[in-house]
Amino acid sequence: MISLLRYHTANLFRSHRWILPLIAYALLISVGGTSSHLAATSPAELARLDGQALASGFDWSAAILVPVVALLTRLMLTAEPGAARACAAVARGPGRAQLAALLVAFAGGLVLGLAGACYELAASGHQTALLLPFLAGLGKALICVLVGSAVGTLFNPPLIRHGAVALLSTIAAVVVALVSSISPAGAALRGNGATVQSAAWPTGVPLLAAFALVVISWGVSCWLAGRRAD
Amino acid sequence: MRLESVGKRYGLRQPWVVRNVSQEVAAGRLIRLEGPNGSGKSTLLRMMAGALLPSAGRVTGRPRAAYVPERFPGALAFSAREYLFHLGRIHGLSEPRLSAAVAEWLDRLGATEYAAAPLRTLSKGMCQKVAIAQALLSCPDLLVLDEAWTGLDQAARGALDEAVGERVAQGGTVLFVDHDPARLASQVDERWQLAGGAVRYLPGAAAGGQTPPGVAESAVIVELTGLEAGSLAQLGGLDGVLSVWPDRVADDEPARRLELVRLTIAEADSDAVLRRLLGWDGVHVIEVRHGTGREAAR
Repeated sequence: MISLLRYHTANLFRSHRWILPLIAYALLISVGGTSSHLAATSPAELARLDGQALASGFDWSAAILVPVVALLTRLMLTAEPGAARACAAVARGPGRAQLAALLVAFAGGLVLGLAGACYELAASGHQTALLLPFLAGLGKALICVLVGSAVGTLFNPPLIRHGAVALLSTIAAVVVALVSSISPAGAALRGNGATVQSAAWPTGVPLLAAFALVVISWGVSCWLAGRRAD
Repeated sequence: MRLESVGKRYGLRQPWVVRNVSQEVAAGRLIRLEGPNGSGKSTLLRMMAGALLPSAGRVTGRPRAAYVPERFPGALAFSAREYLFHLGRIHGLSEPRLSAAVAEWLDRLGATEYAAAPLRTLSKGMCQKVAIAQALLSCPDLLVLDEAWTGLDQAARGALDEAVGERVAQGGTVLFVDHDPARLASQVDERWQLAGGAVRYLPGAAAGGQTPPGVAESAVIVELTGLEAGSLAQLGGLDGVLSVWPDRVADDEPARRLELVRLTIAEADSDAVLRRLLGWDGVHVIEVRHGTGREAAR
């Protein structure tokens, strides 16, 4: 498995496929989440607004992980020509080769999520207690990485093999994942932006739901990997 | 290795490409798969290699396998050498055996000069060499070659022939498809003929059987009219029938009578097959001529 992870990671980096998601994430993160708190009149008010700004920054950096990780997953799933995939699949099994590609995209999403949360923390210039909001932000980022990975897996090959259909349905699914109330990502983001100071961790339900989505989508993808023609 | 009622179709409403293949594959055998285009050779090869999972049945006891695809587009970001190192590791090799094996196979296939070049800049033949090297690196016990010789220069074809001989001599099984009927003809132990989704097992020249059509064998070409579309598969299954054109038709009208069907029959079996055909209701033989199996393959 390690050799497969190494192979997929090397292919991701050498093919420069990582650049697009990284730049997209960096751009989106820098345009969003910049709310000012000049209107504060007292130190207490300032702290409250500060906390709100930080929470909305975390929300924003987590939310854009959904499209970015879905894109990264798509890039990983379409990185290899069918013949090369078959050569690697013969050695370790098609399912495992598929899982390795999905894991590499997921790990990339985790790195981006951590970097995004750190950026928000640094950009906020925040004074008060940081640990709890930071953990809450990381929790939301994790949920969004999971949802992004599930969306990217469900709406790309081998589940959806037609290029244009895959792309459009991925975009549609990202929108649904962010705005719909039943989506774990939507629930996590809308959950408690204002009161994030007190809530250290987003409710466990969205997190569990996101995990379940990933397990199901990865399972289906790996199951189909050796069963469908390229 | 055993194939147990193995079948494959690419979707629930799709026709079976191969169906109900049960066979014991012994170690140390050289097996050639034959059949017209679209007869399921590549599908069966990929299932035996483990790149494709069957829709029905199963493959058990598969030894360490390696696979050379029909075309290997070098659309990967690696150089040839880097790709081989990655694939070698995936096949379970570790240093220092890995470096030695990569150097050996690049050299034997005449690809050392291009080892540092990015795969996407390599020619088709050079990419094919990389695909072959990838498979041979790990000395697999099951080597599956899908027209691996196509696009290779003379020297590399010779090197691949030699490598196949070595694998078989060391107790490995080699399965291959190639459009040249003379490929390794004298060393083939088994010939698997695919037609209509089914397989017939014939001994190869090394096991006392006939060489494949077109090498030494001459054939009789028969043209028919009035055959029911649904009987095509049955035709391909008759003893001595080397190829059938068309090899498949749409399934919707099995009773439709085809205007023209062309069969190639091994000369020795041609009389028996003709007698059978004349007995089929509504079938008329419109032409019988002499030809070669090689001609029929086109």
